[in-house]
Amino acid sequence: MKPAAPLLLLLPALVLLPLLVLLPTLVHGGGWDLIGQFLLAAVQPSTDPVVLESLVRGLGITAGMALLGWCASLLIGIAAGLASSRLLWRTLIGHSWPAEWIRRLLAIPRSIHELIWGLLLLQVTGLQPVIAVIAIAIPYGALVARVVSDLLESLNERNLQALMAAGCAPPAALLSAMGPPLLPGLISYGGYRLECALRSATLLGVFGLGGLGNELLLTLQSLQFHELWSGLWLLLAVMLSLEAVIGALRRRWGMPGRFSLRAVGVGRQGRELLLAALLLVPLVFGVGRALAIEPAALLHWQALPPLAPAGWQEALALPWPGLVFNTVLLTLLAAALAVGVAPLLLLLVAPWPWGQRLLQLIWAIGRLWPPPLTALLLLFVLKPGVITAALALGFHNLGILGRLLLEGSEAAGPQRQEALRCGGCGPRLALLYGRFSGLARSYLAYGAYRADVILRETVVVGLVAGTGLGSQLNQSLSAFAFDQLLLLLAAYAALTLLGEDLSDRARQRLLQP
Amino acid sequence: MSDPGLNESASQHHPVLELRNVTVPGRQHPRLEGIHLRLEAGERVALLGASGAGKSTLLAVANGLLQPAQGEVHWSGERRARSARARRRQQARIGTLWQDLRLIEELSVQQNLNCGRLASWGWPRALLNLLLPLESEACAQALRQVDLDPVLLSQSVGELSGGQRQRVAIGRLLRQQPQLLLADEPLASLDPRLAQELLQLLLTQAVAPRALLLSLHRPDLLQGFDRVIGLRQGRICWDLPVAQLQASDLEALYAGVAEPSIAR
Repeated sequence: MKPAAPLLLLLPALVLLPLLVLLPTLVHGGGWDLIGQFLLAAVQPSTDPVVLESLVRGLGITAGMALLGWCASLLIGIAAGLASSRLLWRTLIGHSWPAEWIRRLLAIPRSIHELIWGLLLLQVTGLQPVIAVIAIAIPYGALVARVVSDLLESLNERNLQALMAAGCAPPAALLSAMGPPLLPGLISYGGYRLECALRSATLLGVFGLGGLGNELLLTLQSLQFHELWSGLWLLLAVMLSLEAVIGALRRRWGMPGRFSLRAVGVGRQGRELLLAALLLVPLVFGVGRALAIEPAALLHWQALPPLAPAGWQEALALPWPGLVFNTVLLTLLAAALAVGVAPLLLLLVAPWPWGQRLLQLIWAIGRLWPPPLTALLLLFVLKPGVITAALALGFHNLGILGRLLLEGSEAAGPQRQEALRCGGCGPRLALLYGRFSGLARSYLAYGAYRADVILRETVVVGLVAGTGLGSQLNQSLSAFAFDQLLLLLAAYAALTLLGEDLSDRARQRLLQP
Repeated sequence: MSDPGLNESASQHHPVLELRNVTVPGRQHPRLEGIHLRLEAGERVALLGASGAGKSTLLAVANGLLQPAQGEVHWSGERRARSARARRRQQARIGTLWQDLRLIEELSVQQNLNCGRLASWGWPRALLNLLLPLESEACAQALRQVDLDPVLLSQSVGELSGGQRQRVAIGRLLRQQPQLLLADEPLASLDPRLAQELLQLLLTQAVAPRALLLSLHRPDLLQGFDRVIGLRQGRICWDLPVAQLQASDLEALYAGVAEPSIAR
């Protein structure tokens, strides 16, 4: 008995059964009127010029931090990606062991969420505009590095060998043979990272690092829902415009889609690409100046309080099994929710064309709405805990996965679904059999990758919903217990690397023909 | 095998398919202009015409995929149903063999054959079919009818040869048991022997109360059809019994000098 592809797609949604059973026990009764006010305020956002001015200023700071962090991450990522490429070292010195070591080293910054980097830097240097930029640049740079080296390894080496055999110097051969085929995948992934950077910059703002996130948090805490929605609609407009521009450029330049991370050909419109890259330079400097970014500020460290005498014993005495179990449980619940609910909702609205538009709007809000704020909203009506945190994290990732599933579904073409409809099949079954069959494996493979991202993101809701390693990390950070912090970061890193390995294996299995 | 798709009482009084003065503007599809066509139960009709003549558009109108800008389409005397449920019942009586087959590569042969039954199945059966393919005996019977070994039932469609896939697509139609069989250039890109075999298979299925409308690009394969319709630039040039078709008609059709609407 082996479930067929479309059924596999629906299996993660089984997580809804225990959640629906447990959810009534989590409701604490108060706060429903606040949730009602929050929802009503969506159609009555504040148009007060003072509020709007403040929100636009916050949005500008967030967008600027995102742009700078993204640019820095690309520079770091490309350099580190090349340095961690086995192919490069093999071509230059005949051995690939330096690549292996650099890869292992890069796994550490990659495994720590940008929020933790931000909070750590905040403790060390005090509040500086540059912190958010660096907090984004470090883990994103390590992620880009991994993608660059993976893309390089997946390219065909025959052209390189041909050039080397013809006597071409290794650096020139590498640049000529591997540069052009690497570019489309790199640019496509780079565009996607810019969208992520905007979300991260908003999130960092929620935790006090400036920008619109901070405004959103303050309006939520003071229950100014009309002002909150003004900020949210502004952010939505910017996010959707950015996604549309990146999507249009991806299509115009012939870059691969997001479901297929492999490059299919050399990008077109080279001049436009070069022009876009050149335009970025003055833009980055202008934004850096406007945000008063001073990288040198990172060198001025604050004096840290001394460690407690019995700190290490206390650190070791933390309830480690419970912390790790809650973190893993939170990851699994949030991932299953995000992966499973997206196809289920698409099936639900299949008969109505407006249903899909409504889902697109809800998913867009889910994508840009920082999970800690969802957690705070949920706390109006639910008790804190793993499930509340999983709902917040699941909603955010549902926005990302839902959009991907819809994009993949549209790219798959309507023919098979149409054929089933013409035979009298209902719209939902036609979608399930006709479109989801072809998408299921690549979607689940992406879901496996997303689970690995969700594991890193647990820290974000852990800080709010009081559960897992993230919650403990917040307590240790507030208490300046750096010994605990070190152990917690090591535990997080180990868990993330293990998760990354497991998700890699799952992905390879799913993508096997 | 039960035959819910067939409605014999309806077919005794009405043509299986009737197009009355159908017009489709040529924006997204090759256009159709003032098409009148009747297809009686048991009739086997071939549709000939050059590329872009409107054969696929006409078949898309006939299977309900495309709604004409003008004119009426009747299936067994009924116009297009308004409610979704009634429309689905109507569609279940129309079976289409697509040029690109539109099989679901990721599913097994049996699951693909059962796609022909999805219109009459509820969610539980449709989901169960994805876990444990249902109605094995009926599927094996459908495979035998298309000269395939039932041992293929558990195989993935992606692993089949081109000819086997064509037969599975016909098998899916047999599972659907439609009243109207439509086929859009099903023999294109097949070798002559396979084309002949598959055509015979389709012709033997088209017995009353069922009717067959099949578009072709090879006039040498007309044996076995009752009528042949020549389509040029969206208009019917001639609608003749196959026995009356002359070489000059074909020459006129493809050379582009045929006078519209000749019926003998």
